[in-house]
Amino acid sequence: MIKRSFFSLTQPRLKYDLLEADPKAPESIPIPPNLILLLNEALDNTKSIILKKGDKVKKGEKLSLYKDSTEYTISPVSGVINVIDTYSDDFGNKATYLVVRNDPQQASGEDIVKYELTDDIEVADQYLRTLPGAPPLKILASKENTIQTLVIMCTDQDILSTTAQYVAQSTMEEIKEGVRVLKRIANIMKMCLVVSQDTNMQTEFDGIQTFRVSKNYPSALPAMIMKDHLNMILPAGQSPEDVGVAFITAEAIVSIAKAYRTKTATYEKVLTVIGKDGQRHMIKATIGTPLRRIFNAFSLHINEKDRLIIGGPMKGFATYTHHHPVLPDMDTVIIQDRDLIPALSDNACINCGKCIKICPANIPVNLLVRLLEADQYEEAFDKFDLGSCIECGLCAYVCLARIPLYQYIRLGKHEFLKLKADA
Amino acid sequence: MNKYKLTVSHAPFWHDGDSLFQMNMNILLAALPAAIFGIFQFGASAFGVLALSVGSAMFWELVMNMVSKKPLSIGDLDAAVIGLMFGMMLPPITPWWVVITGTFVAVIVGKMIFGGIGANPFNPALIGMAILMLSWKAFFDFDTSLVDFVFDFTELAPLAAIKFQGAGAAEMFSVGDLFMGKEVGAIGSVFGLGLVLGGIYLILRGYIRWEISLSFIVGIIVTAFIFNMVNSENYAGPLFHLFSGYTLLGAFFLMTENSSSPVNTIPMFIYGFLGGLMIILMRNIGSYADGTVLAILLLNLVNPLIDNIRPKALGKGENNA
Repeated sequence: MIKRSFFSLTQPRLKYDLLEADPKAPESIPIPPNLILLLNEALDNTKSIILKKGDKVKKGEKLSLYKDSTEYTISPVSGVINVIDTYSDDFGNKATYLVVRNDPQQASGEDIVKYELTDDIEVADQYLRTLPGAPPLKILASKENTIQTLVIMCTDQDILSTTAQYVAQSTMEEIKEGVRVLKRIANIMKMCLVVSQDTNMQTEFDGIQTFRVSKNYPSALPAMIMKDHLNMILPAGQSPEDVGVAFITAEAIVSIAKAYRTKTATYEKVLTVIGKDGQRHMIKATIGTPLRRIFNAFSLHINEKDRLIIGGPMKGFATYTHHHPVLPDMDTVIIQDRDLIPALSDNACINCGKCIKICPANIPVNLLVRLLEADQYEEAFDKFDLGSCIECGLCAYVCLARIPLYQYIRLGKHEFLKLKADA
Repeated sequence: MNKYKLTVSHAPFWHDGDSLFQMNMNILLAALPAAIFGIFQFGASAFGVLALSVGSAMFWELVMNMVSKKPLSIGDLDAAVIGLMFGMMLPPITPWWVVITGTFVAVIVGKMIFGGIGANPFNPALIGMAILMLSWKAFFDFDTSLVDFVFDFTELAPLAAIKFQGAGAAEMFSVGDLFMGKEVGAIGSVFGLGLVLGGIYLILRGYIRWEISLSFIVGIIVTAFIFNMVNSENYAGPLFHLFSGYTLLGAFFLMTENSSSPVNTIPMFIYGFLGGLMIILMRNIGSYADGTVLAILLLNLVNPLIDNIRPKALGKGENNA
């Protein structure tokens, strides 16, 4: 954990981690006997479910809960569905998880599903949404927003992670191939590539602009890239796709290239696993692998009350179980020792102004938090710039009173959207 | 299914390690040089006043915590800071009941009834001072308070001297003497050097906002300079004002109290400058010898208004025009 420096006249600087000069190839984790797949749709008792316990699935088969479902997941193995149950995330959003028992006997040649991929973004969206890297095909295929600019992220959004950098560096040729595929299938006017300022990555592309982002967090977050490099200010309360910008990870581009080449999906996700000693392990695991398998492979031990962080120390989330599966968009897994978990408090804001100094979006956090504490979400949105937050987490990182500011803001946004939806 | 329970909480999972305790500890530390100098200069009674002030301030907070059935909050040392600031503003000879009443007003009326730390619209220590100064004015006359002391420097409170004898009296005090603490005054406000060092320490550590301190000092110097230029017979020079009375204590410890001061850049400069301006106006035109207490309270009052001047948030208004 990075502590504040003794002298702190200026704001603290959190730096992105740079990929080491000669990275080791990721170690592969064998496919486990049981895989857990998340399906972004809640179980609904009023509808008849088409998946059943005991159903046989093929490798690459598309699985959805209901006939009219638009959400799906792809089974990375051939086997049998063992469990179908409800999963809820930290905001109580319901989803469904499936446990698929891997059956290597079943996976003979003809059992692997091939896709009829045509040069149409909607067809790609039918099959490729859950590829490693989670391509934003839903956004690209959406009729509501036309995406004019696609930003390819060859740098990591959160600190500590080097996954995106590694994938970008090791698969530049495939990224080029993926770009060609995307140009063919989607009507995107402008594509650009984001790399870290200090990298020596070769990014020579025809007709693609390369942006070099500073190594200071949060310069690689979408809103900051738009502001600094695309000269677009993200309007408060809107997402990048609302203004025609989509972000795609390097890994997703590579997955699309492979899918179009082989007409099948790929399932191996690259991720950085960081143990308690701070040592980084770059690994390759099949989507759906329970994290426990990975920890066992590296003999990473977890104790009671440790924290398991998925997605980086500033923006990630903590999971309550080591059975949590590898997900398509999971770049980093961190085990934090219980002694290193910083204490939060229920102190009131003392108006020290640290959040104001560090906020990249100029939000009056000191005033905003007072409204959020009092559940005044609408006023917080209208008058105190709740919608402008780019969700970097820096305010909570520096908060002297140790108020969970970022959580207040996320909750505020969540509740505000709910209020708006109910109105 | 799980053999053990994991800690689940929300991002960010890191913290820079700072806390209220750290901040208040550092403020206490920064105030110590001036306070200790005061003890050496004025003797055991000054020590008694400071100790009673810190102790009773913490006691009042404890009592209030218990009465209102809230978790005990004296551990964050905020009450100790209020107590020390309050004690440092008192004359070395102050009756014990004045100190205890003062900290009662400061902690309970100035802070706790507004909701505790962070909720006070005014600097609590100054609230205590203001009430006492209005109630028992006689105890705050430094010359009377220190009448039994023998010093090897001018035995007159500088600001009272120029108030009643005109700016010519300022010549009795050399700026060097004032800065090095060779003056009659409150326990913690006489040692200019100590206050400046403490202030610089706090600024470097990032516990007070340099914009406020700097603009406050600029405000003092500019305003006093203008008065002095216009009529040097009636109004003393800027350095005299800067190093006498509560000015430096105000610059680094009172104006900068978190809850009652602005946080945006432009407001901080306005707030600081106006603070300096008000103090000199009160000293030169008003009836008080040292206007620091009331001037800062007045600025606390307008702080919420000033702090409305803030930059447009990302994606709001005319930013992309």
